[in-house]
Amino acid sequence: MATDTRTKRLLNWVDFRFPLTEVFERHLSKYPAPTNLNIWYLFGFLLIVVLAMQIVTGLWLMMNYTNSAEEAFSSVEYIMRDVEYGWLIRYMHAAGASAFFALIYLHMFRGMMYGSYQKPRELIWLGGWFTYLILMAEGFTGYVLPWGQMSFWAAQVIISLFSSIPVVGEDLATWIRGDYLVSGITLSRLFAFHVVLLPILLIAIVFFHILALHEIGSNNPDGIDVKKHLDEDGVPLDTKPFFPYDISHDIFALGVFLIIFCSVVFFFPTGGGYIIEYVNYEPANPLSTPAHIVPSWYYTPFYAMLRAVDFPLFGLTAKFLGFATMMAAVAIFAVLPWLDRSPVKSIKYKGILSKTFLGIFVVSFFALCYLGMVPPTETKTLMSKIFTIGYFSYFLLMPIYTRIEKCKPVPERVAQV
Amino acid sequence: MRLLALLAISFFSGLSFTASEYKCGSIECYEFSADTKDKESLQRGLSAYMNYCYGCHSLKYSRYKRVAEDLAIPLSIFEQNLIFDDSKIGDLMHISLKESKAIELLGAKPPDLTLEARLRSPEWIYTYLDTFYEDSSRPYGVNNKVYVNVSMPHVLEDIQSELSDEDYDRYIADITNFLTYVSDPSAETRKQLGIYVILFLLIFTAFAYLVYREFKKDLK
Repeated sequence: MATDTRTKRLLNWVDFRFPLTEVFERHLSKYPAPTNLNIWYLFGFLLIVVLAMQIVTGLWLMMNYTNSAEEAFSSVEYIMRDVEYGWLIRYMHAAGASAFFALIYLHMFRGMMYGSYQKPRELIWLGGWFTYLILMAEGFTGYVLPWGQMSFWAAQVIISLFSSIPVVGEDLATWIRGDYLVSGITLSRLFAFHVVLLPILLIAIVFFHILALHEIGSNNPDGIDVKKHLDEDGVPLDTKPFFPYDISHDIFALGVFLIIFCSVVFFFPTGGGYIIEYVNYEPANPLSTPAHIVPSWYYTPFYAMLRAVDFPLFGLTAKFLGFATMMAAVAIFAVLPWLDRSPVKSIKYKGILSKTFLGIFVVSFFALCYLGMVPPTETKTLMSKIFTIGYFSYFLLMPIYTRIEKCKPVPERVAQV
Repeated sequence: MRLLALLAISFFSGLSFTASEYKCGSIECYEFSADTKDKESLQRGLSAYMNYCYGCHSLKYSRYKRVAEDLAIPLSIFEQNLIFDDSKIGDLMHISLKESKAIELLGAKPPDLTLEARLRSPEWIYTYLDTFYEDSSRPYGVNNKVYVNVSMPHVLEDIQSELSDEDYDRYIADITNFLTYVSDPSAETRKQLGIYVILFLLIFTAFAYLVYREFKKDLK
């Protein structure tokens, strides 16, 4: 008992000076989560776990990695061979990148399905979108660091895209590279971005994302506004406290996730060439171009769009138009809250048109993901064009189809679902 | 939604076609699956490699000592028989052939082979070593079906003519096994550790599920 009161006194001392208990209860232990959350609501938690894992493994990799063109490749092999458990840290970091993208795509799709971007959650959505942008930059810069053939040539291809911008393009690309071609200068600046600038931004924006979420509260699969019905303490009736109800759910999900993740790390660390590409086991060589340059699987939908636009228009080059299309495909997520004019949030209560277009989006995304991986043929480029149109139609036609379709009534309470 | 899942699956199954980049030059790869558990094969492969390949092809990301330990070869025996220059046992496996000399002799720089099995695949190496053929148009009178117009002479020619087909196949399988091991020396440790990790996670997840189920009852 004595220790109890002592802890309590210490806590009181802190609480008088800093709202520790309040912050803990508000953001963790008592955070009210809707009772009807389903499996789609696990990925946010898992993303936080993966972010933490990437930071820790990244820190340890950095202890032995050398960011120079001469030593980068051999320092990675040094980590793989001479550093105690270096192989484990490196495989976790590499597979972690793929897991990060897999989870963020699922997390984003959840938001699209249940209308989690709608009023009043626009800023949460924008924060998440920005996280995704930073993550793409983080993935790209990290990919370059091992300085293998694919690292070098991917950097060459991606940075040269900027040179397609009219007038300033060439100068811009040179400015980004810090050289006339990808070199050690480029490598060390991408390293600086990868380990300092981008992680700081990532953590700051994730913090913002969660703070904004906890202010408004979580959406739910039915899009019911749980804040309409409160108990006498002002807590929404259709919610349960995060501790112990949600955390027990999340920890179970973490176990399942780790079984899958560790199976990859320990038994299929290169993921059949999709996590670590075989071509990247050859050191970067500016004089020999690999036969088939492909980005990581998580960029391939956008890469397919880049290749789909193969015609010049209005005096602009095909390369620039492809680049612009690719950028637009990522940017368009940001305006999603303002494209959706539907009175209901969840796809469950939206009409047939919303369901159809979401379906078209999903099919187009997977198809483009595949088409971006394989060498282009005439048929495949045509398919890429069709699926690019499919992808954009979900967004661009949304103001029309969400307004004209007939929605089902949303229940007042979760119990009525 | 079920239709979507089916479509998604059909697209992903298409991916398996892209994984067939492992074609061996002008032919399909011979069937071969590397065995890095067979220590004796690895030792024979190492000895063959050091005698026939290591003159030109370094293993510069690997260390003598690591190879000796992993292959259960006593350090003194390794030092006496398999280190040909004044390298220390803890050194990286660099070769003494200078790049300029190699280009003068062969017209190309022989690549380092530490990661060859990961870059090309074990099947590729095995098929490559098995498909040298006579071709008088080439400087060394030999060509290769996997690496067409390769600069390398058929260094195992004498071995191949001495051994029966079966024994030669075993000989190149040993070399391939060794190169597979050296490309990823932690592979066996990794797989062993992986079993314990997954077992732990299964138990952890089972208990996590029980806790979750218990709390879920409250909500009913």
